[in-house]
Amino acid sequence: MIPITPLAAAQSSTALIVFLIYTLAVFGLAAFSNYLLKSKSFLSEYFLGSRSLGVWAFALTFAATSASGGSFTGFPARIYTHGWILALWIASYMVVPICTMGFLGKRINQVARLSDAITVPDVIRDRFRSPGLGLLSVSLIVFFMSFNLVAQFKAGSKILITLLGDNDTFQKGVAWTQSVTSNWSILEGVAPDYFLCLSLFAVAVIAYTTYGGFHAVVWTDVMQGVVMVIGVIIMLPLALYQVGGTSQLASEFREMTPPKVGFLNVTSSLPLDQPQTLNARWVILDSEAEEGMRLLRLNTPIILPAQKEGESKVSTQEIRYVELTTPIEIERQFQRLKEQDELTTFRSEVMSALEASRDTSSRSEVTSALQQVEQIETATLNNIPGMNLDFEVIVEREDAYGAGKPGVYAMGPGPAGPDLKNKSEEELKKDETSLMTSLGFLPFSVAVSFFFMWAISGSGQPSNMVRLMAFNNSITLKKSIFTVAMYYSMIYFPLVLIFCSARILLPGLELDPDSIMPRIAVELTANAGQAWLAGLLVAAPFAAIMSTVDSFLLMISSAVVRDIYQRNINPDASDTRIKYMSYLTTLIIGVIAMAGAINPPRFLQDIIVYTGSGLSACFLGPIVFALYWPRMNREGMYGGMLAGFAAHFSMYAAGMKINGSFFKAWQPMGIDPIVIGLFVSFVTTFVVASLTPPPDESLVDRYFRRGKANPEK
Amino acid sequence: MPDTPQKSPTDLEWDPVYLHARKEAWLILGVWFLAMLWTLPVSYFNGFDSQVDIEQVTFIWGMPSWVFWGIGLPWMVANLITIWFCFCYFSTDDLEPPESNENSANQETAGDA
Repeated sequence: MIPITPLAAAQSSTALIVFLIYTLAVFGLAAFSNYLLKSKSFLSEYFLGSRSLGVWAFALTFAATSASGGSFTGFPARIYTHGWILALWIASYMVVPICTMGFLGKRINQVARLSDAITVPDVIRDRFRSPGLGLLSVSLIVFFMSFNLVAQFKAGSKILITLLGDNDTFQKGVAWTQSVTSNWSILEGVAPDYFLCLSLFAVAVIAYTTYGGFHAVVWTDVMQGVVMVIGVIIMLPLALYQVGGTSQLASEFREMTPPKVGFLNVTSSLPLDQPQTLNARWVILDSEAEEGMRLLRLNTPIILPAQKEGESKVSTQEIRYVELTTPIEIERQFQRLKEQDELTTFRSEVMSALEASRDTSSRSEVTSALQQVEQIETATLNNIPGMNLDFEVIVEREDAYGAGKPGVYAMGPGPAGPDLKNKSEEELKKDETSLMTSLGFLPFSVAVSFFFMWAISGSGQPSNMVRLMAFNNSITLKKSIFTVAMYYSMIYFPLVLIFCSARILLPGLELDPDSIMPRIAVELTANAGQAWLAGLLVAAPFAAIMSTVDSFLLMISSAVVRDIYQRNINPDASDTRIKYMSYLTTLIIGVIAMAGAINPPRFLQDIIVYTGSGLSACFLGPIVFALYWPRMNREGMYGGMLAGFAAHFSMYAAGMKINGSFFKAWQPMGIDPIVIGLFVSFVTTFVVASLTPPPDESLVDRYFRRGKANPEK
Repeated sequence: MPDTPQKSPTDLEWDPVYLHARKEAWLILGVWFLAMLWTLPVSYFNGFDSQVDIEQVTFIWGMPSWVFWGIGLPWMVANLITIWFCFCYFSTDDLEPPESNENSANQETAGDA
């Protein structure tokens, strides 16, 4: 597992207090939702909020669920890594609200009311009077969403680790967890802080979702949606101000070149009795005279091993680093380090490490050497006599696209390079030679795919569809489309500005970009003298991921209770039985997802992309025809769903053969699997429905016709 | 959609909610397509380094000009269209099932053909 860096500010108890207040508020909302459950039809209320959502609830639950954890972790990380091209990557969000809500909203809500459907499989089953179609859609939803849920649980836990960090109470909890679970074989190799955060996250989400149902999820979404937008509104002016204004932002991006990344070995001859950790992260290395100073940011602390008898040197292997390459960036960062005294801190850490040394002469030698270094500008760590640390760069990589090109962060397709996370050298070579990195981050063909991806495929997400079934009337729908459009405008475009500024304010985080959101929140608020705000800001990504997880959890349990149990196994089940079945199923699914996340799959973001696009490839085409084409029949539905699944899946399977990994899908001419999946699904649905018998006329009457106001007799 | 609805021979007519929703769906597809037609070519020809040199890129309010003209401006226009769509074009329909359809709604028979 990649070590996660706790934040300095998280050492205060602010973050923990924010988290506790937040969790308490969420439980309060769940309790109130449960109170509402008592007075209404259980199933409809628990899974759909009795179709009673008004404008704010509907708009914000829709926006927050779509936003997901990605908006506040993955998206900022990408902006930070690839620059302004992310504005094009996200550009179709300008039409996402009108597309995802307006395209299907009115019709799916009406059709769901006509058949009294509570879930998406309900709609499909009733629209064609086909239990088989209902079961197929349940299977697809459970398949995709279960994987997604595991990935989201992992993402939530990672954010929580960053949030709680080195907080004393949290660290005590980690120590306690370690002592309790050290003998559990199932947790072998699982970091105790990860397991503790996973448990906290899972308990909070499972508890309030299980107890409160749909309304709890919606209200927490509203609260989370508000937290997210407040976070962005606060951060934007702070970021622009601290970066020196928009003209400074522009001139820096003109010059900026991608950093180099690599591994280095540290060899030490410090006579230590036990291992010592050096936490300072910046290292200055000697370099060729014409290149000037080399400034490296280490990704992990240096752990100096204890020397064994007879050994004169010990090595710390493969410390990953990022080396800044833009002269103006190096100069500024160096000045900052001077002001913050980080270089001196490094030296004092070595000194305290030596306190444990048995060799007093070595200690005095280092002390005297350090005292001689009066001018920090000339100090480099590996040429201080007696310091006994040698840094040897063993692997160095530049971006496959954009290396050495000033201004590459301000243009398309954006820099792209090898990702060193958890990679061996062999895997790195594959990365560098792959088409995906050598063409840059967003080649034009991929930009086209993303215009499909967000606006069109977003309409096909069952988690969005089920929300479209829950608003109370069409006036709510139109006001909500407007509200979400304004909401997204306030979030997504400003996020690009904020995290482009973050490149300047916090350089060298390319190896740990997922932590950029909480880091920048801490940096901005601390510089503004308002450190308490950091707690609120770092809650935003946590809020985003919670609001996605809770709705997915409910989607899966509704699929099991409503679509499998009630509609196929026990149609006459009593309300009380259904109620306890729902509680139990939500709980069990949550626990299973948590268990899956204990040893989660490696490709977190890839799984989220695969499952999201897969659901869309299966459902969008058939649903569009089901809602808007009277000639549509059940054969077309089967054909469209299965063909969409198969086409999308086969692009990924081909990726395994061609690119060496299932999650590096084959993209012929740069076209994403989602575009191919959607195309195949739409065409197959239309062709199969056209070639098979028309639907029963009573179905067409029911869903497409209405009695004349003044029928001719 | 492929079929153009015609009046049913019975006492039923095409549901106005369906007709309105379909008309709105076509318009939405058109808006999406126009947004793509504006954003992608403008961004590509003014912002990709295969097409233009970094020296030629200017900045507006701290953002590269291709972002301003290719994404920022159409985003504002898309918002104006969304406002027009919501408050001028969108039909406010009653989504509740009509009484007259209740009878046929109860004639369901389960099972695949």
